[in-house]
Amino acid sequence: MPSNLIKKFKNKKVYSKLKGHDKEAFIKVYDESVNDIYRFVYFKIGSKEEANDLTSMIFLKTWNHIQTNSLEDSKTLRALLYKIARNTIIDHYRESGHKLSSSLDDENNKIEIIDDTQSPQERLDQEANLELIKAKLPLLKEEYREVIIMKFINDLSLEEISDISGKSRGNVRVLLHRSLNALRQLVEEDKL
Amino acid sequence: MTDRELITKLQSLKKIKPDSAWQTSNRDLLLSQVSNSGARELSAWQLFTINFSSLAKAASRPAYALGAFVLILITGSIFSHQAFSSAKPNDSLYIARVISEKAKLNTMFNADERNKLAVQFATRQAQDISAVLADPNFNTEANRDQVAKLNESFNDEISSVKTHISYLSPKKNTENNKIEATDNIKADNVTIADSGKDDNGVQLFEGNKINTNIKVEANPKITVATTTPVLNATSVLNVANSVLASTTEADPSSSELNADKVLEEAKQLFEKKDYTKASDKLKEVVEIIKK
Repeated sequence: MPSNLIKKFKNKKVYSKLKGHDKEAFIKVYDESVNDIYRFVYFKIGSKEEANDLTSMIFLKTWNHIQTNSLEDSKTLRALLYKIARNTIIDHYRESGHKLSSSLDDENNKIEIIDDTQSPQERLDQEANLELIKAKLPLLKEEYREVIIMKFINDLSLEEISDISGKSRGNVRVLLHRSLNALRQLVEEDKL
Repeated sequence: MTDRELITKLQSLKKIKPDSAWQTSNRDLLLSQVSNSGARELSAWQLFTINFSSLAKAASRPAYALGAFVLILITGSIFSHQAFSSAKPNDSLYIARVISEKAKLNTMFNADERNKLAVQFATRQAQDISAVLADPNFNTEANRDQVAKLNESFNDEISSVKTHISYLSPKKNTENNKIEATDNIKADNVTIADSGKDDNGVQLFEGNKINTNIKVEANPKITVATTTPVLNATSVLNVANSVLASTTEADPSSSELNADKVLEEAKQLFEKKDYTKASDKLKEVVEIIKK
């Protein structure tokens, strides 16, 4: 309860500062959220350059949105950022006329996990697995991919996901279960 | 692959991050863009106002909830006491009345007031038991067990009243110096009656003069006695008795003695199954304690 209250207080404070045109608050929000928003966009778009451009655009749109609107339609600033990110991606799809259907496989963006307790063979296996998941994510349905990114990669709560997607918490839970099953199937099919 | 393994692998994808060079350059770019749209640094006063209003907004809901809870608790305790106070010992709500009375007693900090209230509650409960047992429809063979229980409860309540009265007595004695003074006078008068008489039975003991002088202002009868240096034994006793009578009239401990006496009478009447009279006696006890 007190941690909730502190969270709420911090959220209101940052929002009020942004509303008051505070540069420092904007930079703080940017530093805290840029990685998450970039990742969200990257996994939805599949291109590093486009993800960079869209991330930058999302922050600017959020700034403008706060100056002209209230936070009443979103429970938290994070939820507002994701909502704007979703809309920006939809606009981008509409303008470019394409949807992500190819692999996210990006030679310049290989994931490196260093764990000294693992043998080189184990490390190679794990990296292969990760690359496999990364490759299979774009094959999932749009809404499945979205909840997986929000919940398991960016650690959003069920409440936040339900606020962003406009679905009930129960629906989000069901969606998460289905999307995990679908991803597992894709990964296992490929292994066989 | 289990769900857990899959989730662990998905969480490893957190390592994907934008280039730090892009991150910094984009930060500067955004900063210049927002500066053009009126972004600035806030003054200390503005920051204070924002902090205060944010705290008020964040805490308003829990504060309202807490306020509502306290309000319900207070109204509930007040109205529940009123609602349950009319419950009779054979009612199902009687237990609620007992609990509510105990709760009220526990919330009193003044020991004297608490004891007084405890006496009143116990007396009223005993009174209610008498009233219930006086009802011929209830006091039948069919309700023998309940009647026996009520008899037992009555005795418990009477002993509870006595205990609380005994708690009340010593306090009042120490608080009231007048009572102490009366006790001293009483003791001195007894000594005087036994000693210091001359052959004619005339009281010449100095202490007597001093003690009677104390009461001169209060009792005009004594003036006569003190003006004559020699007093006979009968007049001394009269003086002592009148002094005692005048002091015991205003003596709170005597009211407790009375209450004890009336209680005993009520108990006897109850044992004789004269419930109405027992109830009347208990009413008297309540009145005495109230005074």
